[in-house]
Amino acid sequence: MRLALYIGRRFLFLIPQVFLISFITFVLVRLLPGDPARLSLGPLAPESSVEALRAKMYLDRPIPEQYVIWLENAFQGDLGESWVNNTEVIDDLVHRIPVTLELIFLSLLVVFLVLVPLAIITASRTRNWIVRVFQNLTFGYGMLAGALPDFLLGLVLIFFLFAGAAGLMPAEILPGPEGRLGILDFEPPFVTGSILIDSLIAGDMEIFWSGFMHLIMPVFTLAFVYGAPIFKMLRSQMEGALKADYTTYAEAVGLAPRIVLTRAARVAAGPTLVITGVVVMFLLGGAVLVERVFNYVGLGQYAINGIVTADYAPIQGFVCFAAIFTMLVYLAVDLIHFAMDPRIKIGGTQG
Amino acid sequence: MVWLRIMRTLRALPKWQLAVLVMFFGWIFLTIFGPYLAPFPTEVAEPTTRLLPPSGTYPFGTDENGIDIFSRVLAAPRTDVVIGVVATALSVVIGTPLGVIVALYESRGGAGSTAFAETFMRLLEVIQSFPVFVFAMVLVAVFGGSVTNIIIAIAFVNTPVFVRIVRSDVLSLVQRPFAEAARAVGNREVRIGFRHVLPNALPTVIVQVSVTVGFAILLTAGLSFVGAGVKPPTPELGAMIASGAKYLEIGQWWAAFFPGIALGLIVFSFGIFGEIMTQVMEPRAVRRETDRRREHALETGGDEPEVPDAPTVTLSHMSEPVLAVEHLGVAAVDSRQALLSEIHLALEAGHSMGIVGESGSGKSVLVKALLQLLPPELAVTSGSVRYLDHDLLTMNKGAMRAMRTTQIAAILPNAKSQLNPLTSVGDMLRSALQAHEKISAKQAEVRSIQLLEMVGIVDPAQRLSAFPHELSGGMAQRVCLAMALMYRPKLLIADEPTAGLDVTIQRQVLDLTRTLAEDAGTARLLITGDLGIAAHYCDTVAVMQAGRIVEIDETERLFDTPRHPYTQHLLDCVRV
Repeated sequence: MRLALYIGRRFLFLIPQVFLISFITFVLVRLLPGDPARLSLGPLAPESSVEALRAKMYLDRPIPEQYVIWLENAFQGDLGESWVNNTEVIDDLVHRIPVTLELIFLSLLVVFLVLVPLAIITASRTRNWIVRVFQNLTFGYGMLAGALPDFLLGLVLIFFLFAGAAGLMPAEILPGPEGRLGILDFEPPFVTGSILIDSLIAGDMEIFWSGFMHLIMPVFTLAFVYGAPIFKMLRSQMEGALKADYTTYAEAVGLAPRIVLTRAARVAAGPTLVITGVVVMFLLGGAVLVERVFNYVGLGQYAINGIVTADYAPIQGFVCFAAIFTMLVYLAVDLIHFAMDPRIKIGGTQG
Repeated sequence: MVWLRIMRTLRALPKWQLAVLVMFFGWIFLTIFGPYLAPFPTEVAEPTTRLLPPSGTYPFGTDENGIDIFSRVLAAPRTDVVIGVVATALSVVIGTPLGVIVALYESRGGAGSTAFAETFMRLLEVIQSFPVFVFAMVLVAVFGGSVTNIIIAIAFVNTPVFVRIVRSDVLSLVQRPFAEAARAVGNREVRIGFRHVLPNALPTVIVQVSVTVGFAILLTAGLSFVGAGVKPPTPELGAMIASGAKYLEIGQWWAAFFPGIALGLIVFSFGIFGEIMTQVMEPRAVRRETDRRREHALETGGDEPEVPDAPTVTLSHMSEPVLAVEHLGVAAVDSRQALLSEIHLALEAGHSMGIVGESGSGKSVLVKALLQLLPPELAVTSGSVRYLDHDLLTMNKGAMRAMRTTQIAAILPNAKSQLNPLTSVGDMLRSALQAHEKISAKQAEVRSIQLLEMVGIVDPAQRLSAFPHELSGGMAQRVCLAMALMYRPKLLIADEPTAGLDVTIQRQVLDLTRTLAEDAGTARLLITGDLGIAAHYCDTVAVMQAGRIVEIDETERLFDTPRHPYTQHLLDCVRV
């Protein structure tokens, strides 16, 4: 009941927010310099055909009207056409979104498999040598991860693994740092867009392996840089929870150490979850840079190309997707947090 | 005042942080003077010296245009740091007043202003849902890549952060007494907001500024790296890294390496600077250490506790004691400072003993030591703690755990903070029951209801689903009491069981505890700062001062004829 009320309230705000997002994007993109009709036809085309194309693209109408037309089309799954590649934006997005989501998802997976246990171990109050070794290790990590830009870490990896003869990576394992697959590999037939899943569906282990190897460096880079806020938040929250009265009391009652730990972890999980939502948003931006470094053909590369060539429709499609995706992530985070923590009130606007 | 705090923070800093602080000011210096120090022109291509490796003339080598990289690295902070700093300043200047205004509207109440504030916050949410990097990229593309436009774009994406933190700070601050006072004197709402409340919110803002500057520098470099920021030939680290990246794989590493190192060091030193600022602005973070030291000193009464030899009384009629403590000493692990020394206690079955003393006399440390729950910073240094024929200090943890609640139960101060905020009363009781016997969830629920009934909670079945924040202090204390007495333990150690409760509830809880414990034959150790409670509820009373028991006697005798000056002093305080 409480949850249903909360969800209802959030969705009530979500709908106007999505419209607002699409409108802001639309206006922003319309402000991009250059006349898309002219850019599309090239500098040598006669003025009359440019005019004709402008009319066909509704560019001669006032902006609100253009927006309504765009919205109508968007509802029918038509997000316009890239004038650079002459491709449907919706098709591009369908192919590119899974690529970037795969990067983001795997990075988060690495964070949760490696950094979350590390955070819990180093938050431990016992001070045996194992904990101390981990504490020293992660101290270095915390400092490094805060200062190392994602693209720089990617470049450092490339340098150490692939630079000339001194590169540490044997060519049989991974011949080059760039792309999603080797030059001679064929993409598996498109089903989900994720290279790992699609190659498994196709039953092609060789492609799966190649795709996996090409994923390692971008995923490592993203996880290393963007895992830091999650790691730091969880560790400090966990330290607080383990020191709290209720943990001592749980021990005094004689609860099993496993239960004492999970109950402390549950308290630490709330703020960590909230920061994870924010990190996912930054991961989307980070993916843009990391895809650039590793020449990984995903949504980020698509956006950069769109911006560099002033290509209206792809930018619009991308920014809209990115903003709606972020809103949904925030919503999901808030819902989980709300379900987890009975102290959150339904009405409150969060700070 | 501020200077004092800065000096104190600086002195408390580890050496490496001081070194980083020096580096931070080095970068500030380069931001101002860097371009004048460059030995070579930074924007003039020289085709004859393309991509030369580092040498005496070109310490960092030359780039693809033949320009000295060392010179460009010296000149680049002028671009990166200035963009970061100015953009952050702009977000503060716009975001802070907006945050104050929204908060003032919101705190005024009334449907209209709440709706306004809610709409505004949702609007901010929309702006913040655009991924920062992409949004900045689009803004730069729209308005063009001049330095001014990059600053505006970065300022724009960071402004909502400041609106949010200022709003939430002001919202909590306007409720504070000093704001009320300003209002009572007749200040106008806006004036209160900006003159009285905002200065108190500034520490948070300053901390956020130091974080944002580093982030803004990263953003600038990232934008330039993908070609959507500062354009060559302006010396800028991100663009320099991008132009050098092409040559990494063929082994010409220096063109990307040195700008990369510089960028990393700049962001790193700004980050550490931010952490130092946090410590200056939030004195709690620094004070904690000195406070702890002072507390320790207090508890032990300095290095040499000046306690006259206690005329301890051995209670001769004692039969087999439930709890026997001898020569117990506890000290801090790091400083080896003694917190407890030479504690002797003996508690007979079914009896009750009070331990009194002012706060800081080591009562709670004693409780933790008896319960084997000392935090890792503290350790037992001498003596023994015996429960019946078990030596608690050498017992293994599993056996000790099995005895908790079933034989040795604890009530700790401030019941509401003892209950995990995310665990319902029912879950807490069930897990305690299931920790000590094999029963189903259903059976546990039935037992839990009986237990809550036992401690006089009305409508117990309903209360099982309640969370600690929904309980009153007295109710939470009753839940803890139910937990403590669920197995009719032989020993109950209660540390300030009624702290924070109002007087009538105190009586109810203590009476209930006594009735139930006497009924179960439970021996009680009652730790309290309240002599009245000790006099009323305990057979014997021990007086603690500075980590020692200075006097122990039967209650009546102790109150009638105190023999230790400190006991006399405590009694005088009450009787005045």
